[in-house]
Amino acid sequence: MNDFSQIPPVYAGIFTADKPPSLIGGQCTSCGAHHFPKPDICPDCLSEVRGADFGQSATIYSVTTVRTRAPLGLPSPYSVALVDLEDVPCRIFALMDPEQAGSFSIGQRVSLHVAPIGVNNEQKACLRPYFSADK
Amino acid sequence: MVSIIGTGIIPFGRHLERSIVSMAIEATRRALDDAAITRDQIGACYFANALGSSLFGDTTLGQNLTSAMGMVDLPVVNVENACTSGSTAFYLARNAILAGECDIALVVGSEKMCVPDFGLINSGATELDTLLGMVTPAGFALRAKRHMHEFGTTPEQLAAVTVKSRQHASLNPIAQFTKPETTESVLASPMIVDPFTRPQCCPIADGAAALILAGDRVAAQMDRAIAIRSAVLTSGRYENPADLTRWHTDYASVALAYEKAGTTPEDVDIVECHDAFSIAEILHYEALGLCERGEGGRFVERGDASLGGKVPVNVSGGLLSRGHPISATGVAQIVELVTQLRQEAGDRQVEDCNLGVAHCMGGDKKGDTKSCTVAVLSR
Ligand SMILES: [Zn+2]
Repeated sequence: MNDFSQIPPVYAGIFTADKPPSLIGGQCTSCGAHHFPKPDICPDCLSEVRGADFGQSATIYSVTTVRTRAPLGLPSPYSVALVDLEDVPCRIFALMDPEQAGSFSIGQRVSLHVAPIGVNNEQKACLRPYFSADK
Repeated sequence: MVSIIGTGIIPFGRHLERSIVSMAIEATRRALDDAAITRDQIGACYFANALGSSLFGDTTLGQNLTSAMGMVDLPVVNVENACTSGSTAFYLARNAILAGECDIALVVGSEKMCVPDFGLINSGATELDTLLGMVTPAGFALRAKRHMHEFGTTPEQLAAVTVKSRQHASLNPIAQFTKPETTESVLASPMIVDPFTRPQCCPIADGAAALILAGDRVAAQMDRAIAIRSAVLTSGRYENPADLTRWHTDYASVALAYEKAGTTPEDVDIVECHDAFSIAEILHYEALGLCERGEGGRFVERGDASLGGKVPVNVSGGLLSRGHPISATGVAQIVELVTQLRQEAGDRQVEDCNLGVAHCMGGDKKGDTKSCTVAVLSR
């Protein structure tokens, strides 16, 4: 495996560098609600939110493929989806594996990976979390 | 009650030589002429522009308009609210008159988008979703895919929205795209974001539109005044998980607007709605109560949303064909409804047109929209 430790994440604090990686979200310390990404405070009850492991498994709720000019140095075409996480009740927007672009379908099971894909708003290479079809 | 007493609009399209303010001046002059009032009678100005600051570094342009028009010592409010910028300016102007702050208010939306490398619109450059590749057409495409999955909506039904839109636009002199399309030509066009081909995505455009609003004292003397029965503006609830086959905010805003106007979907004769992409119009038929949930694709395929159909929708050509200069759109929708309700729409006049609904939506957030406006207008 490559060492990505020198490359910044596209967004701070949303995944771990473990193998396999985990998504990091927030869970409210009072009402228990799950939020992604972790908000400053719980929008449901305004209590404190702590970081929580959201796992790496999900099911596709809806998916599409962008075939026009890609933003942020993303490969073209690229697929994006809304996925339902398996470990917590949370439906989130996700980038899908560029190598599998166009091959995804609703109901398919996918899992999390992290790799350098595209650039950030400063035009620098960055790590992005993405989901791949389970083999 | 507040009424619309004047409208002004310029053709939407590429106006490379025109500035945001120059387009706004022309739309404003047309609205003043239409209302047959002078600039001195304007008591407040609500100016909408969404992209001037990011594309050109221009801010607070409303005062540039009023100063260019010699309108002095006015409350001028600059409004940015994504695609609802123009309809939010309208909402605020109506509120100012209802509050008794002025008798007559000017509403202007002006936008310039035709610049090199415009790219795709997003909902905020530092938002996580944007950074993970969310672009506006993808947000709508995810809705389309889910609607097709749950309700059997077909590519042909999606294409029918564009075919109808072009038919309508061919009757509107200010529309951008008036060339006829067929189901086959729409589906054979280049794929932008699955399942949308190019003609199912609204084009960028330059353009401006203006309205003059007035309270009862003034409007009572105007025989072409159109009454605003209700106007609402709402944000979303952003609960998880979001249902992509319906925007919570869409249904909530429509219900509130109907309730405040004391009306029901059965009373609606014409709709201008936010058809940014083909699926959007189908979802809005359902939210507006024009058909049952899940039936939107079949509604348009049957011709129910066409001129001469059950409830004509986007007779102007809508965003898909009239064009979508962001903050001019919400104002342009109301210009179209006023023209129709005055029975002045010529070849595209809707018969027995007494009550119209303007519906606009802006920005993505957590599977819902950031902003939704709905206005009910009547003769
Ligand atoms: Zn909470």
